[in-house]
Amino acid sequence: MTFRRRLVDWSLAGLLILVPAMVLRSSLKTGNHTVLDDAILRVSAPLESAVSWLVEGVGGIWSRYVGLVGVESENRELRADNERLRKELAAAQRRAVDTDALADLLELKRRSPADAIAARVIAASTTPQFRTIRIRIDRGQGEVAAGMPVITSAGLVGKILDAYGDHADVMLINDPDSKVNVVIPSAGRGGTLIGEGADNGYHGKIELERPLDASGKGVVREGDLVVTSGAGGAFPAGIVVGTVASVTVKSYRMVQEIEVEPAVDLGALRAVMVLLAAPPAPDPDAEHKRKSEPAFGTRPL
Amino acid sequence: MRTSSHVLVAYLVLLVVASVWRLLPLVPHAAAPDVGGLVAAYLGLTARGRIAPAVAGAVMVGYLADLLGGAPTGLHAVVGGLVCILGHLVHRRILVRGLTMTLAFSAFVGAAAAIAVVLISELADRGLALGSTGRSILQIALGTGAIGPTVFWLHRRVDAAFARTHRERDAALEGITS
Repeated sequence: MTFRRRLVDWSLAGLLILVPAMVLRSSLKTGNHTVLDDAILRVSAPLESAVSWLVEGVGGIWSRYVGLVGVESENRELRADNERLRKELAAAQRRAVDTDALADLLELKRRSPADAIAARVIAASTTPQFRTIRIRIDRGQGEVAAGMPVITSAGLVGKILDAYGDHADVMLINDPDSKVNVVIPSAGRGGTLIGEGADNGYHGKIELERPLDASGKGVVREGDLVVTSGAGGAFPAGIVVGTVASVTVKSYRMVQEIEVEPAVDLGALRAVMVLLAAPPAPDPDAEHKRKSEPAFGTRPL
Repeated sequence: MRTSSHVLVAYLVLLVVASVWRLLPLVPHAAAPDVGGLVAAYLGLTARGRIAPAVAGAVMVGYLADLLGGAPTGLHAVVGGLVCILGHLVHRRILVRGLTMTLAFSAFVGAAAAIAVVLISELADRGLALGSTGRSILQIALGTGAIGPTVFWLHRRVDAAFARTHRERDAALEGITS
């Protein structure tokens, strides 16, 4: 190869690296997907669902049926019965796990006045620096949009990062980019929970000013419940986020570092709920309002 | 055509890894192997005359890895391009043949790609803890090393399918690049 051709080849290679570098810079700033990204994800997400379903099915059969064939008894008839029952049990257990998750969501939807739709988790992020999951929305696809809160019956999961068709990406609360305004009701203190993105846990961290008086008022203790404050409008108030795992106070700092253990097991999510709209705020004057008199029947004296 | 076939195979492997990794009984939320980096290294190792088509393929695979892995678009694409060039620079000095060499080389590529991702993430102000980052790099290196022989085998089959002579086909299957 001539020197000139080699120069062109290497220049082209350099240019090919420069283009994604500029795309990366732009995507880190905006965080939005382009039309091409959406098109590829629309094709890939159903394929991911199919692979996930297939592997879960095969894994279920392998772990609960094939793996146990080695312990078959000497009695041929009993073994056949045993295998049949185990097959049925494997299928039932697989259904039970899904049903439990869905029942939880159903109960949550019944309890909560908020407008919400259910979704299944089909994939999780493979890059430890970015904690996201991909969900499949069974109904009401067009209604899900970026920024909507995602919860389970246990508490807050995160918020929608991007929605495309009947799939969406969710940023978990332990992602380093995640910021949730929270309050610790027992201490009456509030702050911003920031994800830590650790690979061996799902912690988040809050930094609060140290209480100055010695009365103990406002002191945060391990085990205290942490809920969303509703400040900023990103998440409705009162959603359980987690509990205080540790409180670190350093003498040279005016703040205390509070580590929060999420209420939701973010590593074992199977089904979630997307909050489309916050519940209506309770009427503060409801007790004082005069009730209208009945139009028919006897009036009380 | 050859590069497109490699990209397609890599896309399918990425799909499987993105869907399946979370279901494996490993450390909770363990870092997944860097398939994009591995394919980029393979393309760099096997680029004979011109490097640009191999870098284009590596960037494309990295872009797909970003989309399927939930990373910001362009992160693994940049790393893939760099790993591809690194692979091309060393392709005359090392011969990735045999299980042990493939395992070791794949683990090295996984670690190098993970370090590059961490450095770029640091530039983007992700503020990661050093201890957890070290564990992630180790997990990625081990995972990439574990799937390396399978990924190399798949891509060697693709190269063998594009061979013009029996000799080229045998060389591709053996992992002899030049």
